[in-house]
Amino acid sequence: MSNEHYAIEMLHITKRFPGIVANDDITLQLKPGEIHALLGENGAGKSTLMSVLFGLYQPEEGIIKKDGVEVTIRNPNDATALHIGMVHQHFKLVECFSVLDNIILGIEPTKAGFLRKAEAREKVMALSEKYGLHVDPDALIEDITVGMQQRTEILKMLYRDNEILIFDEPTAVLTPQEIDELMEIMRGLAREGKSILFISHKLNEIMSVADRCSVLRKGKYIGTVEVANTTKEELSRMMVGRDVEFVVHKDPAQPTDVVLDVEDITVASKMHSNNAVKNVSFKVRRGEIVCIAGIDGNGQTELVYGLTGLEPLKSGKVIMNGEDITKAPIRKRSVMGMSHIPEDRHKHGLVLDYPLEYNLVLQRYFEPEFTKCGFLRKANIRSYAERLIEQYDVRSGQGPITMARSMSGGNQQKAIVAREIDKNPELLIAVQPTRGLDVGAIEYIHKQIVAHRDSGKAVLLVSLELEEVMSLSDRILVMYEGEIVGELDPKTTTVEELGLYMAGAKRMEVQ
Amino acid sequence: MVLLLQYTLIFAAVLLLVALGGCFTEHSGVINIGLEGIMVMGALGGALVMRFLPYDASAATLATRFGMFGLVALASVAVGMLYSLLLAVASINFKADQTIVGTAMNLLGTAAATVIVKSMNTAANPDDHSSEIQYGGPKSAFISKFGTFELNWFVILAAVLLVVSIIVLYKTRFGLRLRACGEHPQAADSVGINVFKMRYAGVLISGFLGGLGGITYITVGVSLWKFENGVAGFGFLALAVMIFGAWDPIKIAGAAILFGLFRALGNVHAGIPFLASMEIPPAVYNMLPYIVSLIVLAFTSKKSRAPKAEGIPYDKGQR
Amino acid sequence: MKQRTPLLRKNGFQTILSSLLCIILGLLVGYLVLLVINAEGAWNAIIDVLKNFMKYPSGAARMKYLGSTLVKTAPLIMCSLSVLFAYKVGLFNIGAAGQYVIGAAAGLYCALMPGLPWYVCLLAAVAAGAISGAICGVLRAYCNVNVVISGIMLNWISLYATNLILKPGMDPTGKDTFRLVKEHKDSILPTLGLDKLFSNNQYVTIAIPIAIIVAIVIWIILDKTKFGYELKATGNNLNAAKYCGMKENRNIILTMVISGALAGLGAALFYLSDIEQWNVNSSSVPAMGFNGIAAAFLGGLNPIGAIFSSFFIQHITLGGGNVDLSHYCAQIADFISAVIIYLCGFVLFFKSVINRFLDKRDEKRIQREKAANAEATEKGGNK
Repeated sequence: MSNEHYAIEMLHITKRFPGIVANDDITLQLKPGEIHALLGENGAGKSTLMSVLFGLYQPEEGIIKKDGVEVTIRNPNDATALHIGMVHQHFKLVECFSVLDNIILGIEPTKAGFLRKAEAREKVMALSEKYGLHVDPDALIEDITVGMQQRTEILKMLYRDNEILIFDEPTAVLTPQEIDELMEIMRGLAREGKSILFISHKLNEIMSVADRCSVLRKGKYIGTVEVANTTKEELSRMMVGRDVEFVVHKDPAQPTDVVLDVEDITVASKMHSNNAVKNVSFKVRRGEIVCIAGIDGNGQTELVYGLTGLEPLKSGKVIMNGEDITKAPIRKRSVMGMSHIPEDRHKHGLVLDYPLEYNLVLQRYFEPEFTKCGFLRKANIRSYAERLIEQYDVRSGQGPITMARSMSGGNQQKAIVAREIDKNPELLIAVQPTRGLDVGAIEYIHKQIVAHRDSGKAVLLVSLELEEVMSLSDRILVMYEGEIVGELDPKTTTVEELGLYMAGAKRMEVQ
Repeated sequence: MVLLLQYTLIFAAVLLLVALGGCFTEHSGVINIGLEGIMVMGALGGALVMRFLPYDASAATLATRFGMFGLVALASVAVGMLYSLLLAVASINFKADQTIVGTAMNLLGTAAATVIVKSMNTAANPDDHSSEIQYGGPKSAFISKFGTFELNWFVILAAVLLVVSIIVLYKTRFGLRLRACGEHPQAADSVGINVFKMRYAGVLISGFLGGLGGITYITVGVSLWKFENGVAGFGFLALAVMIFGAWDPIKIAGAAILFGLFRALGNVHAGIPFLASMEIPPAVYNMLPYIVSLIVLAFTSKKSRAPKAEGIPYDKGQR
Repeated sequence: MKQRTPLLRKNGFQTILSSLLCIILGLLVGYLVLLVINAEGAWNAIIDVLKNFMKYPSGAARMKYLGSTLVKTAPLIMCSLSVLFAYKVGLFNIGAAGQYVIGAAAGLYCALMPGLPWYVCLLAAVAAGAISGAICGVLRAYCNVNVVISGIMLNWISLYATNLILKPGMDPTGKDTFRLVKEHKDSILPTLGLDKLFSNNQYVTIAIPIAIIVAIVIWIILDKTKFGYELKATGNNLNAAKYCGMKENRNIILTMVISGALAGLGAALFYLSDIEQWNVNSSSVPAMGFNGIAAAFLGGLNPIGAIFSSFFIQHITLGGGNVDLSHYCAQIADFISAVIIYLCGFVLFFKSVINRFLDKRDEKRIQREKAANAEATEKGGNK
């Protein structure tokens, strides 16, 4: 083992944050000229590991070696000097610059301060020829496809003579054809001796392009396998683990009338020109928890924005309790009985500089109970807030008058859950309701959601956590690249199978 | 008509200089509302040189005239840049609200200039409480007469600086990096560009150009300036020119000429028989550039080409 | 569970502390400038600025000039309310200056030309300010024009328009409009006997109580009503406001209308008290609106705070007129208030310094307690 030559090695890396070990003794070794996949769920510790490699974090334990020599990386410039480059998930490109300008930015060839673009252009064209990266150097970034933008990012690395190329979830924003092209480009790069680290959770892609695959789970290193000697099932098992650690006690669902009927909706994406949600249809009934499962960035966010009215639909219809609400304003949907626990509690869920009591009435402040003749009924707001705080066990420094900003994340989330469930909605849309919370809070929120279902209401849950999906839902819809690719019954399906659908390795015709 | 051309050119030069200054700052990612204040301070710097430097207009050679012009310009530039540091420090280092700071700089510019000039005048003559500086003689150093047409050398300087600005912004490494900082500072940082340094440069350039714009403005048609009056909103008008010019020097030049023409009408309308016969009150001419700019903005702001990161303090931690 | 927050941690207290810091630093800078101009009289000069009406030895004269200060404070309160109200929704109403000017035009026009009674003039001023504000609001909501830019343009348009509108009301003996007291007594705000309180200062009218009442009303709107709740939510977190179904554009326009109306009212309170007239050849926008920005931020963006900060700013501005003119000039007060506004940009920074200091102190205390506890247990174990 010791005579094996590695381009870059991260040995026994441990990185702790308050209350959490993000990387626990992780070892990653990248051979020259190989494509090495890094597989793991959301929160498995991949991005922390990469931040360590780029010097954004200093690890508590462990060392990094380049070509067998120990190196210290204090900031991204050190990483660049070691010829390590990365294509970020969100491209770091200046939109109104040309492709060429973006490539040379930071290491421009100049004479007396004047740009020598002709020289740069020659080098870029040579690289583009050599690796089959077709770009128009004079096109503006904002005018070209996401695939071209990605090729620009790759050229940026090659222009800097980078040897170690990291691709962070590069296929999330691409069309199938573009993905095929990217795979071909990656193989070409590896043939030319570049070492590639490919961060992904799409099993098909890993199987088709990677030589080896390292798997992380919950901050721990699970193992490294030769892709040729493994199967998708094996990888899926390594990624998600076998056991569902805690189980929610609930009776079988007894679904009755349809509350939410989604017909063939399409939602545009803000990130790229593809549609984020493509012709999705499904129904949610009273007394059931329907879960949209999937890996982050497959259109779940936009689907929820479309349903709640935060973004307009491109096409399709949304019907709630028989009424067409496709174009209804947000307030109307809310009054009709739609509640929404948003994905990002700081962006949408809370007014951070409002006290807790004001946040607790954010969806109801206009009701007669809280407003009379245009004046807030502060006494009622206070007593309502106190009841919610008591009932839902929201803890804070000063009770109702605590500023939301000063509360812990778990209690902020509990406050939102309390607000949305206490409205007693016909339909509860909960997006990652337990993200970043500790076990106690998770259990509590799960109980509330089940109780809401049991009171005969409909719940649409969007979750990235497989355990949550498996233990909480009555029906699972898997979303992959903006489409629903499978409908599964959590009682009969397995985590592995779910993983295959989420990673796009399997699909079925739904409805 | 000669007069109209003369005034249009000179006002356009002022607007062009100051708007280019704003253009550089905003391309670096900082909003500069304080251009008006920078203009006043720059004007003060130049006026002081004209006031105190010995200069005999009747015995002037081309060399002494050129020397005067150079020193006046230099003083305006130096004071303008120094003053613009107030914005740089507050908005870049302390992440202060750029609008408040810019507004304060406008008020401070006029107040400080008034205090300085008044105390200077009072020190020279205890009965003199005016905020005026006279510079009739020295001003003639940089004005060339061609018949009735007077050419202010600052107009030529403005034209030269326009060309320089275009080259710097689009043909040099500095310009490329500057614009990257205003559009996507995280991207710039990720390729090793020092965003703070670039933004400092952007603000200082606006001090340079704003200062020149200020001295140019107070040499239009008058030979003394009352600093209590500031620069009558020209800094703000320049901001509108910059927005109308879509942050692009060539379009800014076009906008500056258009706005300059409207402004010049206010000075010379009485001399144009057609306009004089309409008997439109002078206040209307004064309003005209602002009304035009408001209407233009209403139609052009929907699709703004403003640098995307302008006004947002750059925080290294947020990558 | 309830814990008392230490005084220093309280947001309100930190705001007051930051404002005082701005004032002290502003005065310090002003003092340094005076020192540079003439070292000998500098201390007296800064004291003169701070004394304002207190420089008069007799109580009656003091009251009279206190009255004049208050007359000029009332419009400043309105302008600062205008600025802070818009700021709560995240809009920087630099156009308050122009809304004030156009309010003056409407109010004085109604007073001078048809000679309408004061309450009509007052309403006209309010309406003119409101319309001017509405233009900014509509441009922002539907054409995406930044209110700072449209506000600045409207400032200058209003200035020249006002010169034009009031030209027929110019007193041929000067450049100002006619004094109302000569011809249009009905247009002057009633005094309700308030003038008696201030040594028969005829300019002390109901403007002062009106300004205070309006400040309180604004405080009530912001703090007690559904509308205020929505405005502040929109200003604090636009996304959250959208998420819970508030109407963003309507709120923006409405805010600017109210904001403009406040500035317009400010002009009415000033010019209809007849203490000063409009100079129809004005070539610069009156400082009142800009000082309103200073007062709004210095008052911690609180309507009640605005009353005090407005008084302070007007107090030193008038105090500036008292300096020994053989060495100094009155604009030193403008200079000081400009420095204060500049420093107001740093309030967030001041607060974070205070909090960092407190965090450090708390950490040290906790460590000391820990150490003490550990020692205690050790001793206990040794027993």
